[in-house]
Amino acid sequence: MKIEIDESRCKGCNLCTIGCPYKIFQAGKKPNRKGVLVPMLDRPERCTNCRLQHLYGRVLCGVCQMTCPDQAIRFRDEKPGETMKVAIEY
Amino acid sequence: MQGNIACAEGALAAGCRFFGGYPITPSTEIAEHMAVKLPKLSGTFIQMEDEIASMASIIGASWTGKRAMTATSGPGFSLMMENIGFAVMTETPCVVVNIQRGGPSTGQPTMAAAGDMMQCRFGSHGDYSVIALCPSSVQEMYELTVKAFNLADRFRVPVFLMADEIIGHMRERIIVPDTVEHHERKSLQPGVLPFHPDDDQVPGFPEFGKGFGVHVTGLTHDERGYPCATNPKLHEQLVMRLYNKVEQARKEIADYEVTNPDAELVFVTYGSPARSVEQVLHDTPGKKIGHLRLKMVWPFPEHAIREFHDAARFIIPELNLGQIAREFDRHTSVPVVSVPKLGGELHLPSELKKLIGVNE
Amino acid sequence: MSYEDWYRQDRLPHIYCAGCGNGTIINCTLEAIDEMGWKKEETVFVSGIGCSSRAPGYIVTDSLHTTHGRALPFATGVKMSRPEFHVVVFTGDGDLAAIGGNHFIHACRRNIDLTVVCMNNQIYGMTGGQGSPTTPLGALSTTTPFGSAEPAFDLCELAIAAGANYVSRWTSYHVKELTKAVKKGMETPGLSFIEAMVQCPTNYGRRNKFKQVLDQVEYIRSHSMMRQKYLQLMEQGGAVPDNTIVVGEFINRARPAMGVPR
Repeated sequence: MKIEIDESRCKGCNLCTIGCPYKIFQAGKKPNRKGVLVPMLDRPERCTNCRLQHLYGRVLCGVCQMTCPDQAIRFRDEKPGETMKVAIEY
Repeated sequence: MQGNIACAEGALAAGCRFFGGYPITPSTEIAEHMAVKLPKLSGTFIQMEDEIASMASIIGASWTGKRAMTATSGPGFSLMMENIGFAVMTETPCVVVNIQRGGPSTGQPTMAAAGDMMQCRFGSHGDYSVIALCPSSVQEMYELTVKAFNLADRFRVPVFLMADEIIGHMRERIIVPDTVEHHERKSLQPGVLPFHPDDDQVPGFPEFGKGFGVHVTGLTHDERGYPCATNPKLHEQLVMRLYNKVEQARKEIADYEVTNPDAELVFVTYGSPARSVEQVLHDTPGKKIGHLRLKMVWPFPEHAIREFHDAARFIIPELNLGQIAREFDRHTSVPVVSVPKLGGELHLPSELKKLIGVNE
Repeated sequence: MSYEDWYRQDRLPHIYCAGCGNGTIINCTLEAIDEMGWKKEETVFVSGIGCSSRAPGYIVTDSLHTTHGRALPFATGVKMSRPEFHVVVFTGDGDLAAIGGNHFIHACRRNIDLTVVCMNNQIYGMTGGQGSPTTPLGALSTTTPFGSAEPAFDLCELAIAAGANYVSRWTSYHVKELTKAVKKGMETPGLSFIEAMVQCPTNYGRRNKFKQVLDQVEYIRSHSMMRQKYLQLMEQGGAVPDNTIVVGEFINRARPAMGVPR
């Protein structure tokens, strides 16, 4: 499971940057084609939901996805063959 | 049977199963009768907090596939106007009974008038076309209520039953038919866009709960039902269709009665003044007097005027200051005499006879 | 299934400004509906006019986008004629408290089995930032250029007094709590009123010294106080800070309700 930001929907409000307990979302610096400062992901493999969802079989945190007013944040399963990255921060 | 009760009975016979209303003289008997009868027919009666809400509730009920109606009088009718416009824009079939009383404002709650004839046609903002029926007897109160439901479902427009206090509170013997005509609401075909019109300019009805997932909005919308309020072409197309779907059928649905089409002197009436004119015709058998009685005033049946090919003068007695006389005048070169009467009483036959030079 | 499946994907992105909290509230409501397991064809969304009321247009179910302030009577018509439908009303503060105030009181009094989600942004956003009945005292808007002189409405207290069965208030910051509250409201027979305080960066924040969206959200977060704590403070006679947003469940009772399917 990994986090994805849909650039075609993101309006650059940066609301995701305050919700995440791991501060995975960082304010974007470079405007994209639409001139929107899409937030950047800082080591997204730390995300609880991404790490542990397959163990629990349900959405664990998901605050960023719920908070995003533009429905731009999604959790996606890794493609077959793609390695799942996890990192645990103490 | 009282006129208002006949209206309620007609509605029940037509399959009306939702009534949202607010008490107002002189239409209250309709609500009272519906409150007694509807629960027994597993229908819903609800008394709303005002007429705005009554109109809103019947639109909501109509979208769930029920035949719905409300009844009111002048002041309440004015309150309903915004939501009537919504019903027109969203093509919601519904029936509004207006038992007219003297206005403006509170006016004469217990007296008759026909002062809302223009309001029902032009009252809401924007351009549109509606259907308005005018009963002039208790029997017609029953029949035209049934007809109103059928027309509403066929054209998907609000249909008005524009009676007045005289007809509403009058008691007459009526014949209640065993079965009434029932025009089924055309359902939306699967795979068709929810606001895509058929050949008759009326789209199929995407009833709520059938899985159509339709978005109903008062904003200018495209055939999918999605708002596109800034597209001038689309707006023109939509409004023209809403207007034309009724107007192009005006000849076919027109409902009027013609007496003595070869007369030179012709009375034109709708609603209760027809009764005075009938009396005049009855009292003067020697004189050839024509009578055009409109049962449907909107869309205006201008072709009915041409049935009186020898007419030299049209006399239009009305319980207002000539609202329909002016509309009538637009369609004919023959002189039109408006006989307005305010105050809540009907034209006396003797007044009308004096007017046409018949002495008793 | 997740709330994503309830959106009309062909209509997104929606018209809301960047940073507007309405999208968050729709997410939470749809998530709650998803958890309820309602069928799409038995769910109807009704709304009035305003920013919040554009929401049903983005949802796949049958929906009514009606006239200003009249969402509740329309919903009453739908619910009373087909009680088996699940009817959710999206509304805003101007829609519900100003022009639709009377309908709101009566819907609460009748206690019709509706779920009303009010997105309270304390301003008329769609028309360009005019003061609304919930604009706080002293706040600036285009029609209150010297600060609002009128005290604001407390919609939750109003709903309780009028007789709603379930009342709670959360904010666009408290997404998890809001989702739970909406779900609880849907489970409760009778009228459930959930007020969601949302930020309006374009028309409210800009005029009221919130330079960034995050400033306003931070303000909402830091000024929120749980109802239990608030009641405790009031009991002890302690001072409640100005502009406190009391959040939490206000009431959950079982008054007789209308339109509950048998």
